[in-house]
Amino acid sequence: MPKNAIVVKDVTKNFKLYYDKPSTLKERLVFWNKKKADVHTVLKEVSLDIKKGETVALIGINGSGKSTLLKLMTKIIYPTEGKITTNGKLTSLLELGAGFHPDFTGRENIYFNAAIFGLTKQEIDKRLEDIIEFSELGEFIDSPVRTYSSGMYMRLAFSVAINVDAEILLIDEILAVGDAHFQEKCFSKLEELKNSNKTIVIVSHSLQSVKKLCTRFVWIHEGKIKMDGNEKVIDEYMKVCG
Amino acid sequence: MLKELYNYRELLKTNVKKEIRGKYKGSFLGILWSFISPLLMTLVYAIVFPFILKSTEPHYVTFIIIGVLPWTWFTNMMANGTTIILSNAGVIKKVYFPREILPISVVTSGMINFLISCLIIGIFLICSGIGFSPYILLLPVVVIIQFLFSLGIVFITSAIDIYIRDLEYIIAFLVNILFYATPILYSPEMFAGTPIATLIKLNPMGTIINSYRDIFFYKQMPDIISLVVLIGGCLGFCIIGYFLFKKLSKGFAEEV
Ligand SMILES: Nc1ncnc2c1ncn2[C@@H]1O[C@H](COP(=O)(O)OP(=O)(O)OP(=O)(O)O)[C@@H](O)[C@H]1O
Ligand SMILES: [Mg+2]
Repeated sequence: MPKNAIVVKDVTKNFKLYYDKPSTLKERLVFWNKKKADVHTVLKEVSLDIKKGETVALIGINGSGKSTLLKLMTKIIYPTEGKITTNGKLTSLLELGAGFHPDFTGRENIYFNAAIFGLTKQEIDKRLEDIIEFSELGEFIDSPVRTYSSGMYMRLAFSVAINVDAEILLIDEILAVGDAHFQEKCFSKLEELKNSNKTIVIVSHSLQSVKKLCTRFVWIHEGKIKMDGNEKVIDEYMKVCG
Repeated sequence: MLKELYNYRELLKTNVKKEIRGKYKGSFLGILWSFISPLLMTLVYAIVFPFILKSTEPHYVTFIIIGVLPWTWFTNMMANGTTIILSNAGVIKKVYFPREILPISVVTSGMINFLISCLIIGIFLICSGIGFSPYILLLPVVVIIQFLFSLGIVFITSAIDIYIRDLEYIIAFLVNILFYATPILYSPEMFAGTPIATLIKLNPMGTIINSYRDIFFYKQMPDIISLVVLIGGCLGFCIIGYFLFKKLSKGFAEEV
């Protein structure tokens, strides 16, 4: 049954831009009636249906609204107007290492981090070996995370997120983690997830990589969808912005 | 809503563990430390107040500690709970999870802390020769009431704290005042028949602490009608707090 994994319907997102944000009680009361903020419209009536099993790349120049759209999909932020619905367990790799606690070991942090993704103890136990193996951290897994290099930190975080077994995976700009070897490994893992019919939405500026991985490309420009389709979107985008 | 909380039960557990362990980590005396401050407070009150109040209460130290320990739980909730969203800004901006996990885990770890500190009450009851009565079985009921009451407040204050940053100071000030309006150092009988007695009755923390005293100190049945009213009231309050929290939580990631 072909069903939509993500439905974005007429979504508009405004950010308020405060120059002097009232944050104390006094300021709130004093500035009650004043016009306090400029409104910055980042997404304008965007509609987008993503089917189950699709691998979609969001492309566009800096500040066009890609990350904002992903954040809306994960429900970190909410649309000003419109509605977003998702079907299935969703994991977002927007920023890695949420909930990492520097003083605890890598192994303990796997538990903290996976718990934030909504996994239970048993589910984490089951995946623990896979996660550690994927990260290739070896004996460092039992050292405190504060002693890790930034690449090692990313490896661990990415390994947790990718092993959550979500049906929908949202990824923002994090394929640049780790060394060449690890990057390659991440890509083949994504390839594997794609073939097991997971839905993947990926934001990236490394066009060559997403071109290989994805089957659908959505070009976002100034808060609107400018083009949506197959590889030709990338070519067109390169012509205009490359 | 309950289903989602259930799905995230592991997060709740790790949060509670982290909070309790974080407190005690690294020192053998750790567990003691969190009880030393209420014990010292009790000591000071026990020395000073008999002079002021000309108290005739026998076992005054035990009398006070039964008030001070639940009060410590309450003030910790007001202090740590109000800032809980703000102090987790990093995670809130990075990833989705049901935000209500945070207030619930603070209040839960506070409760576990309090239950541990009930051992101190037990020691005082034994040493003073007061002993125990079967009414102690009502302890969970009173604890649940205090849990719901604290959680209701923390839902509201932690969410509003994001929008009004100095709320924590306002709360700290109010809690200080409430300390004197709560029968911790005195017993409400002292004011029997005056308007102050009514005022104390209206303060949920007053009834809660009176109930702890009834079951531990006076070894008698707490006022059942007040307890039933409180359970209903606190549950309703907690639900209202939850919905307010839910509504405001949509803006957390943008505002923190
Ligand atoms: N919290 C915020 N408050 C105000 N404006 C914001 C906020 N977050 C994003 N914006 C604005 O929204 C616009 C889009 O940002 P977004 O992060 O979605 O861009 P992007 O497409 O991901 O760009 P990049 O390729 O640089 O990652 C930007 O103009 C940015 O200034
Ligand atoms: Mg971005």
